[in-house]
Amino acid sequence: MSDASATLPALADSEPRWQRLHPATLALAIVALGPKSFNLLPAVAALGFTGNWVYVVPAILAFLLISLLAAWFQWLRFRFVVGDDEVVIESGVFSRQHRTIPFDRIQDVSIEQGLVARALGIAKVGFETGAGGKENDADLNAIALDAAQALRTTIRAHRSGEAAAPAATDATQMAPAPEDRLLFAMSPRQLLVAGLFNFSLAALAVVGAGMQFFDGLLPFDFNIFNPVDWIDVADDYELGDWVYAHRGIAAAGGIVSLLLLGFASGIAMMFFANWDFRLTREPRALRRTRGLTTRTDVAVPVKRVQAAIIVTGWLRQRFGWHELRLQSLASDGEKERDHQVVPFARLGDIDPVLTEVAIMRPGAGQVWQHSHHIVALGGVIGAICATIGGLIAASLGQPLGWFGPVAGLLIAAGSLFGARFHRWADLGEQVAIRRGVWKPKTTLLPHASVQSVDLKSDFILRPLGLATLVFGVPGGSSLASHEIPAIPVATAHDLRTRILTARTRR
Amino acid sequence: MTDTPAAHPTDPFAPDALNAAEGLNPVNPAYAQVLRIATALNLIPLAIGASVFDALLIRHIEGPYGLITALAWLIAAITIVSFPSRRVSRWGYRIGEGQLRVARGWLFRTDTIVPFVRVQHIDVGQGPIERWFGLSHLVVHTSGTHNSMVTLPGLHADLAAAMRETIRRHIQTDFA
Repeated sequence: MSDASATLPALADSEPRWQRLHPATLALAIVALGPKSFNLLPAVAALGFTGNWVYVVPAILAFLLISLLAAWFQWLRFRFVVGDDEVVIESGVFSRQHRTIPFDRIQDVSIEQGLVARALGIAKVGFETGAGGKENDADLNAIALDAAQALRTTIRAHRSGEAAAPAATDATQMAPAPEDRLLFAMSPRQLLVAGLFNFSLAALAVVGAGMQFFDGLLPFDFNIFNPVDWIDVADDYELGDWVYAHRGIAAAGGIVSLLLLGFASGIAMMFFANWDFRLTREPRALRRTRGLTTRTDVAVPVKRVQAAIIVTGWLRQRFGWHELRLQSLASDGEKERDHQVVPFARLGDIDPVLTEVAIMRPGAGQVWQHSHHIVALGGVIGAICATIGGLIAASLGQPLGWFGPVAGLLIAAGSLFGARFHRWADLGEQVAIRRGVWKPKTTLLPHASVQSVDLKSDFILRPLGLATLVFGVPGGSSLASHEIPAIPVATAHDLRTRILTARTRR
Repeated sequence: MTDTPAAHPTDPFAPDALNAAEGLNPVNPAYAQVLRIATALNLIPLAIGASVFDALLIRHIEGPYGLITALAWLIAAITIVSFPSRRVSRWGYRIGEGQLRVARGWLFRTDTIVPFVRVQHIDVGQGPIERWFGLSHLVVHTSGTHNSMVTLPGLHADLAAAMRETIRRHIQTDFA
């Protein structure tokens, strides 16, 4: 931005090069009408109930027309230009928005294709700028796939060209990996194994929600999602007696079908999300492509990686399976905060990825320090409350109240047991924090990623001579900050001093 | 950071004990007045509300009229008179050795250190009550998700400006 004379003519040149989104975007808008038309359902229902059947079809047509016109106007008023060192986007029908994104500030370009978009050969391009908040990131939804890839290549080339000049370290880093290198891929067989461990009864919740939803909606008095209705039908044919007579078999059948459902949905979810999973090392980033229906193509700039998180499960740990997530400045899609770069692999496959981001995994012989058992206090207090509440309810004659003490005992035992698994270790250049029994999670946090350190103590920790360290790290979820709970105050002070004296990483 | 924490901070009710034990500077005592007025502005409407509730409802149902009013005003008075100065004495800061240290609270004490190198930008702010007493607050922004803003209130306006300059110089020298 320093040489205004150079950038101004470039802008003037770019004036006629305004581009529109791909016309097939309108087709996407039509597809998006599907879920949107649910908003219309109450209106149509109201028309129907008041007997104005004549107006139902015109109302639907008017709705379609208005929606399509709105989409058309939005398409008409959305234009963008890719300049020599910036992207300019203008959008909005009534309130206009003009946004300029310099290439220097674009951390990365992600490309996402849904099922319809793949059929149409278009893709949604997202610019990650590292600015906080979703509304600060710009999208081009959608342009032709080859144009999207060309755009990404342009921006990448700009960034690497600029970075090659000042830093000699970049040159050494680029030397061993001149071309893209496959780091990790998942075969269908691996996906199947991963899916088996991904056992999930979430599908049941969907069925339950469907039951609730269709119950009030269907005109006839039979809901295929409602087992009671099926029992009624069975009764009509005197099947009920048969089922009652063989209820043991029926229960076993129910459990088996539940298990099948859980495994099937776990495998299906794994296949949809991670089909053709590929993690490659590019000169400056780790690039991940995956997905069966919705293909996503995301790159995590290596220098933006703040911490690595290895997650596993109680059972899958027994079989040696782990998952690797990287905490970066940008967030992974709309739901996930951390980038899942290895969904399911042996530690041997995870290590090369960790090496790429210059993070080291503690070895098997690592001596871990433990947090004080006081970390179980919260759970124990909760358990006591549950017990007292349950006992009061039980003494008032509510038999369900006995759940309170039982649940209290379980919670107390769980938190006391879990407290033994809060561990940490200082590995010199980074801190490793472990926690959890059921879902063990190891956070590998380089000292250089730490922006600020809180040393917290309260009226419970202080008499015990303990303190909690909380680290301010860029990226990740604001709800789950990295912390080492309840360690001796002197240790905490030492660790804080050591971490803060670490130099910036980049 | 050369401070060795005392095994146990001494008498918690001695106003300067905590900061002295941890090697921190106290904030400006005038900040107690700012807190007091802010607390009063919050609590007096609540107390008035409680009185109105008492007069309209409790008297109507012939309950113990006057109890809620008395309690509300008593609690408000105690909170306004005694708590602010105690809260102010729990705030402490230290600037130097390339880092800003801010500590606050007693029951739940948080002691934050932000190295100057990690500061993204700095705000110096002044509310109407603060302006009255010639105070400012300093806000340091970091790129961390946790602690993205670290606030240090109760600084004399000149001191806040001087601290901002100190931090700003460090940011510049480290990027040069």
